[in-house]
Amino acid sequence: MKTDIAIIGGGAAGLSAALSAYDQNLNILVIEREKTLGGILNQCIHNGFGLHVFKEELTGPEYASRFIQKFHEQNIQFKLHTTVLDIKKNQDFELSISSLESGMETIHAKAVILSSGCYERTRGSIQIPGERPKGIMPAGSAQRYLNMEGYLVGKRIFILGSGDIGLIMARRMTLEGAKVLGVAEIMPYSNGLTRNIVQCLDDFDIPLYLSHTVTDIRGKDVLEGITIQKVDETFKPIPGTEIQFEVDTLLLSIGLVPDISLFESLNIEKSAITKSAIVNQFYETNIEGLFVCGNALHVHDLVDWVTEESEKAGRCAKNYILHGASEHRMEVSVKPGKHIRYIVPQKIDFSRKDAPVELSFRTTKKMESGIFYVYQNGVLIKSKKAKYIAPAEMEHLLIKPEDFISNDPIELILEEVKS
Amino acid sequence: MYDYIIIGAGIIGTTIARELSKYQVNILVLEKENDIANQQTTANSAIIHSGHDPKPGTLKARLCVRGNALYHTLEKELSIPLLKTGAFVVAHNPDEETLLHALEERAKINGVPETMILTGDKARQIEPNLTKHATMVLSLPTTMVTYPWEVAIAALENAIKNGAHFRKNSEVVKIQKNEDKFILTLKSGDTLETKHIISAAGIFSDEVAHMIEEHVSYQIQPRKGEYYVLDRKAVQLFSHVLYPLPTEKGKGVLIVPQVHGNILLGPTSTLVDTKEIASTTQVGMAQIKEDLKRLAETIPYELIIRSFAGVRASSSYDDFFIQESKEVKGFYHVAGIDSPGLTAAPAIAEYLVHEVIQIKNKPKEYFNPIRQKQKAFYSLSVDDRKRLIESDPRYGNIICKCEKITEAEIVSAIQGPTGVDTIKGIKKRARAGGGLCQGGYCESLVLKIIARETGKPLNSINYYAENTPILVQETKVKK
Amino acid sequence: MKQMTCIVCPVGCHLSIDDNLKITGNRCPRGEKYGIDEMTHPKRMLTSTVRTIFSSHPRLSVKSNTALPKGLIFEAISVLDDIIIDKNVKIGDVIFSNIMNTGVDMIATANIQIDTNHGRSI
Repeated sequence: MKTDIAIIGGGAAGLSAALSAYDQNLNILVIEREKTLGGILNQCIHNGFGLHVFKEELTGPEYASRFIQKFHEQNIQFKLHTTVLDIKKNQDFELSISSLESGMETIHAKAVILSSGCYERTRGSIQIPGERPKGIMPAGSAQRYLNMEGYLVGKRIFILGSGDIGLIMARRMTLEGAKVLGVAEIMPYSNGLTRNIVQCLDDFDIPLYLSHTVTDIRGKDVLEGITIQKVDETFKPIPGTEIQFEVDTLLLSIGLVPDISLFESLNIEKSAITKSAIVNQFYETNIEGLFVCGNALHVHDLVDWVTEESEKAGRCAKNYILHGASEHRMEVSVKPGKHIRYIVPQKIDFSRKDAPVELSFRTTKKMESGIFYVYQNGVLIKSKKAKYIAPAEMEHLLIKPEDFISNDPIELILEEVKS
Repeated sequence: MYDYIIIGAGIIGTTIARELSKYQVNILVLEKENDIANQQTTANSAIIHSGHDPKPGTLKARLCVRGNALYHTLEKELSIPLLKTGAFVVAHNPDEETLLHALEERAKINGVPETMILTGDKARQIEPNLTKHATMVLSLPTTMVTYPWEVAIAALENAIKNGAHFRKNSEVVKIQKNEDKFILTLKSGDTLETKHIISAAGIFSDEVAHMIEEHVSYQIQPRKGEYYVLDRKAVQLFSHVLYPLPTEKGKGVLIVPQVHGNILLGPTSTLVDTKEIASTTQVGMAQIKEDLKRLAETIPYELIIRSFAGVRASSSYDDFFIQESKEVKGFYHVAGIDSPGLTAAPAIAEYLVHEVIQIKNKPKEYFNPIRQKQKAFYSLSVDDRKRLIESDPRYGNIICKCEKITEAEIVSAIQGPTGVDTIKGIKKRARAGGGLCQGGYCESLVLKIIARETGKPLNSINYYAENTPILVQETKVKK
Repeated sequence: MKQMTCIVCPVGCHLSIDDNLKITGNRCPRGEKYGIDEMTHPKRMLTSTVRTIFSSHPRLSVKSNTALPKGLIFEAISVLDDIIIDKNVKIGDVIFSNIMNTGVDMIATANIQIDTNHGRSI
């Protein structure tokens, strides 16, 4: 089977990319492994989605349905309950896919957009010491069991990690009849939205232990208890600060990782910080015609940013098909400077200077007030003031084509403004 | 009334069962856990050692070398994975080089068929990530790596096919001898009768022996070992098993390529008080990182996806303790089976049945040594995959996307006499949940498949042991 | 002077409220209303699920169409326990009206479109 653009993943990113890539002259195929479109939004039954895109506050399923509706209206082709096994690049892209309904097939595509989301970090990735009983699972898995199947995975819960998923699940489990004894966070500040600290922890008197981590797990077959300890500036547990909890469940909300396992057989340039592909301002990897967007590119805190990014990526893929690739890329680096953790895109291709470049980035420091500065050849070419800056909140900055003074690398820094 | 009851369905009990099932005897294998091979067999380095290390003249030495050779037959007969990695024992200076030569001598005395001394440079040509400080290595080409859990289940499946019986959740709590038969009482209260007992109870061997002997000739001194598993992304880094020089504590912390493409790091070795608390520790991790510096400079610890610990049945006796009880005729000890137990297993079975028991029963006319296993979907070519899907469309339904495990393979792991209905049991058999996301995505799908196949409600499906349901309470139930 | 974080939207402005209920720190008018409400009669949006008869879609996600008194949240959840969805539903459909006599409705936030003749999703 042949298509122009194959989009892997029919969640927030894939849906937006497909809608913006749509063109009467193009064939688009979205491949989704679940039985429905919508991705992770389907299990995010809480509020907080769409404030920027729709100027309304929606729940996850509502947000997804806005796009699914448009998707069906456009009559874009899609395959559900289908898994992509691998991607190869020869003349074009060859995707090997498999499903219960249709068996194995090969899809030939001129361009591919990987919008496969991310997976949750597990106990093994941070090597929590102790025994290995049942009762330790990622918060997102517990969310799926609770919101989609209708089951609690435990009655006495402790949560490691104060990221939004952990906070949301603290509230959710409590509302459904479990007792959440606490949330531990290894950093000295919470990773999640402040509003979630209020409405998920404070509202229910669930204690938040900052600068703490889980240092022991007890129980042979089922979880019986955990120990948390305070950590020092180097994140080493401090002896004598042990607190024990009798729990039957430990939920892990310790981070998300872009799922780019389909890139294993391709020679993709990767970033060690984002754990995903390196892309230019067109969301294109070093392999021509291969685009990445959404959580598969870098982990977002708001789905609204996923939508905006994926809209751009879809458009870029469409342009690639309709107008072809650059004869010769002129890529230079986008350097994360002071207080900047990473920037997407990591490269700017100056062979095509027609469109603005949107930088999405995260900071390393929390501050009330700051100014972002972009330098090229040592000259300031753009600045932007911002308030309430935090590592947990992604920032954006737009550079128009006329702002650039050369085709040389740029650097982004953040200066704190102290009041 | 059985002829033989084997207590313990680990690698030792199951290979013994298979060996015995070649004869016209009535066999029952009892396992106290909710699945086979849940203790040592599932928590070791998976190495089929060459036999270079055990003290010459011991059973360990003899049965390790013999066992190593037998694994080639097992590979063909039981369809078990066998990675022919070879091994390097690494020396860093002239003193260690002397020890290395002595080790080679010992290997030769033990009957190891192939050994070779290589310079550090030559070794690094073959194994580029070997430490730059290695000056000399002992190459042991007959060293291999397997998937121990699968060897055990394959042996048991084959034994059952040839007439043996198996019961899980059957802990023995009492043994009595009545003239020429034994009466075993299980925790459930059931009693069983048998002419002979073979105790292959791993870390619990001494406790089982105490049930029938006044004076037990050995004591289990449990030793815990911690292990860390690197994701398959690390597969290119090492192709050989790498050993440091052995000490009196054991073989040391190793780097071991695994059959599924992971790299295993470990084990540590610490005496423990309790046999069943196999916990991983920060100290253990730190120890492994420290010790591994002697083998390689760049180990991608950020690729660790899992860690586990196992407790070895080391004993106060200086060798494998494989003999008939001096006090109670018909009771056979197969105890103190720590390293190289996995390697020696098929040879231990041979030795026990032919030299210790000296079995007189007639061999079966139609013993079928072959256990066939459908090769994993992920390991097949595109054409073979398509053929499989044509035979059963459920091979097209990918459940575990990290390891490409299909619905058909999961269903097959649930069915049959050694089938299982737990999440971890499925992971052991079909590997679903054993990859990068560790079941984060597929666990709920596997849960539903188990519920569908067994007809049990979703919230009764266990993680592993009995009474470990993943789903604890249904919500929105009218009060 | 009381400090609190506004929860109306994900920005989470830091609010200060004095004894006369004067609010500062809000970046939009909703924050002012939130601060006053929180001091006088705190309210919360409720999002939850209700049971369905459909094995392919066992739970339907719902939300309150406006905020409920904070103190009534657990009782409201209890009321939801008694609901069983047995027909197709569209986003916005009222699943339970005037919950706990608050004038607040619980509305569906997901679509269920099952071919009820054959039990398949359409």
